Amino acid sequence: MTDGPAEHLIYADRLVKTYPDGDVHALNGVTVGVRPGQHVAITGPSGCGKSTLLNMLGMLDRPDGGEIYFRGEPLSKHANLDHFRARQIGFVFQSFFLIPTLTARENVQVPMFEGPRLSARERAEKAEALLELVGVAKRASHLPKQLSVGERQRVALARSLANDPVMLLADEPTGNLDSDNAVKVLDLFASLQKSRNLALLVVTHSDEVADRADRVIHMKDGRVLSDSATR
Amino acid sequence: MYFVSFILKNLTRRPVRTALTVLGLAVAVGSMIALLAVSYNVEKSVESAFDRRRVDLVVMQAGKSSGLNSDFSEYLVEEARKLPEVAKVSEGVVDVTDMTRDSGASDPVLIQGWRLDNFGFEDIQIQPGGRMLERGERNKIMLGRTLATNLNKKVGDQIVFGGNKENPYEVVAVFKSFVVFEEGGAIVPFEDGQLLTGKRVTGFSVRVKKVSPDSAAEIEVVRQKLEALRDAKDTTVRLAAQTPDTYVTSVSQLKLIRAVAWLVSAIALAIGVISMLNTMAMSVLERTQEIGILRAVGWPPLRVISMILGEAVVLASIAAVGGTVIAFLGLHLLTLSPKVNGFIEPELALVVILRGVGITVLIGVLGGAYPAFRAAHLLPTEALRHD
Repeated sequence: MTDGPAEHLIYADRLVKTYPDGDVHALNGVTVGVRPGQHVAITGPSGCGKSTLLNMLGMLDRPDGGEIYFRGEPLSKHANLDHFRARQIGFVFQSFFLIPTLTARENVQVPMFEGPRLSARERAEKAEALLELVGVAKRASHLPKQLSVGERQRVALARSLANDPVMLLADEPTGNLDSDNAVKVLDLFASLQKSRNLALLVVTHSDEVADRADRVIHMKDGRVLSDSATR
Repeated sequence: MYFVSFILKNLTRRPVRTALTVLGLAVAVGSMIALLAVSYNVEKSVESAFDRRRVDLVVMQAGKSSGLNSDFSEYLVEEARKLPEVAKVSEGVVDVTDMTRDSGASDPVLIQGWRLDNFGFEDIQIQPGGRMLERGERNKIMLGRTLATNLNKKVGDQIVFGGNKENPYEVVAVFKSFVVFEEGGAIVPFEDGQLLTGKRVTGFSVRVKKVSPDSAAEIEVVRQKLEALRDAKDTTVRLAAQTPDTYVTSVSQLKLIRAVAWLVSAIALAIGVISMLNTMAMSVLERTQEIGILRAVGWPPLRVISMILGEAVVLASIAAVGGTVIAFLGLHLLTLSPKVNGFIEPELALVVILRGVGITVLIGVLGGAYPAFRAAHLLPTEALRHD
């Protein structure tokens, strides 16, 4: 990967992250880039820094060194990273993190408060459409505890699309699913990524998940060991 | 979904805790509103009495905390009456005296000794079957409605003071007054009042002749002249003349009621803030992961603060409504007690309710501020890892 920030949707340049409880370098000079519409998997053993890298790229945490560029612009100079996250990035987590008191429809609307201005009715209609897209529209009025784990992850996926992001970041999205549900959710990811031309960055331990990506980045000890195209 | 419906759903997820927090706060707020109402009603009652009776100046002995411990000679009243700017003077004696019940027990009762031309007789309403005091008669008494009810006395019955059964007072009237103290007290002829209280005059009210548009200046002139009056036989006595507004704010009993009301308010505020702080801190702690996801999807700190503060303010607002109901019921219950019903009016003025609601909302904001600030500054990654 020889191109610079300008050729990528998001580009991490020599990222360093050290946790204060020790001398562990979670990231030790990591440089990666993701192009628009590209599907990238990050693999590696536990503690290798792959989730830390995902959090940095999603601006959930800040690096101690290096720079992250979005569409060629350094994010360290971005005044409002909350706004950036709300509008540009969708997150999917292994534990879904749905709000237990809200129905599926309401959970999907949560990010919309910080998205483009919509009326309450428009928010509800958009949430319905997204739930339809991920195949759980009939469960829109159900609370998370009334949904199966597969349905919960679909609702979480619908929530990640609430503000029409250009990039999806997924941290072990099939980690809590059985194999059938995992395949269905991965198919859904693939379909949405293609139809919406999303950049998709997936952290995974699973070879099956990684094999679906255009590129696989393998990490160890806070460094990129390999970065290769799968097809 | 509206933002406010998200806030309400957060409150209903732990219904028992929400209900207990509201209840605790409502009791504290209810006590506060009730005491503020007592203080406000007493002040308004006294103020309106002077206002209705067109009193321009209230005069009592200088250096005394209220009319109850004031005492000066009738000579000073006569001198005041002679002032050319004075239209009318109405003097009286007032004190708390032991009234002996048939059982032998005694109750402290506010006794006022009035002359027949006292301003107060212009607006009290004598209940059917009763009559006014008459010139020159003695050992007659008019009972305020509340006192008559408390003592179970009616026209024709007898009242005994200080256990002196040889010198009873005959009830000639039960009256209604818009002054709560008068409804809970009794009026006797001026001379009997002097006898019962052991005082000469405790105070007088003055109506000033007003000829120019600047009545305040005219009243001030009279005020200064009244304060300059001296009794050659009792040179240590000075008079303090005050406008009714100043008088109400300076009377020590009213000051005490006001101080107690605000002290209880401060305690209620402290209890409320601590209770709210505890509830909201627990709520934030339990929802750390949720707050993490809200931050992750782009909610800025200000929206998280709005959410937590919103929850605290909604809790406080519900408590304010509950507190107002508790205060209303509490005041009405208090008026059932003969010990205090002569001093308490059960009305809840709008200004008192608004003051109570304002303080309660302040409790919500103060109690929710720290948890809200803490929640807003959670790092999303740390919050999501929280177990």
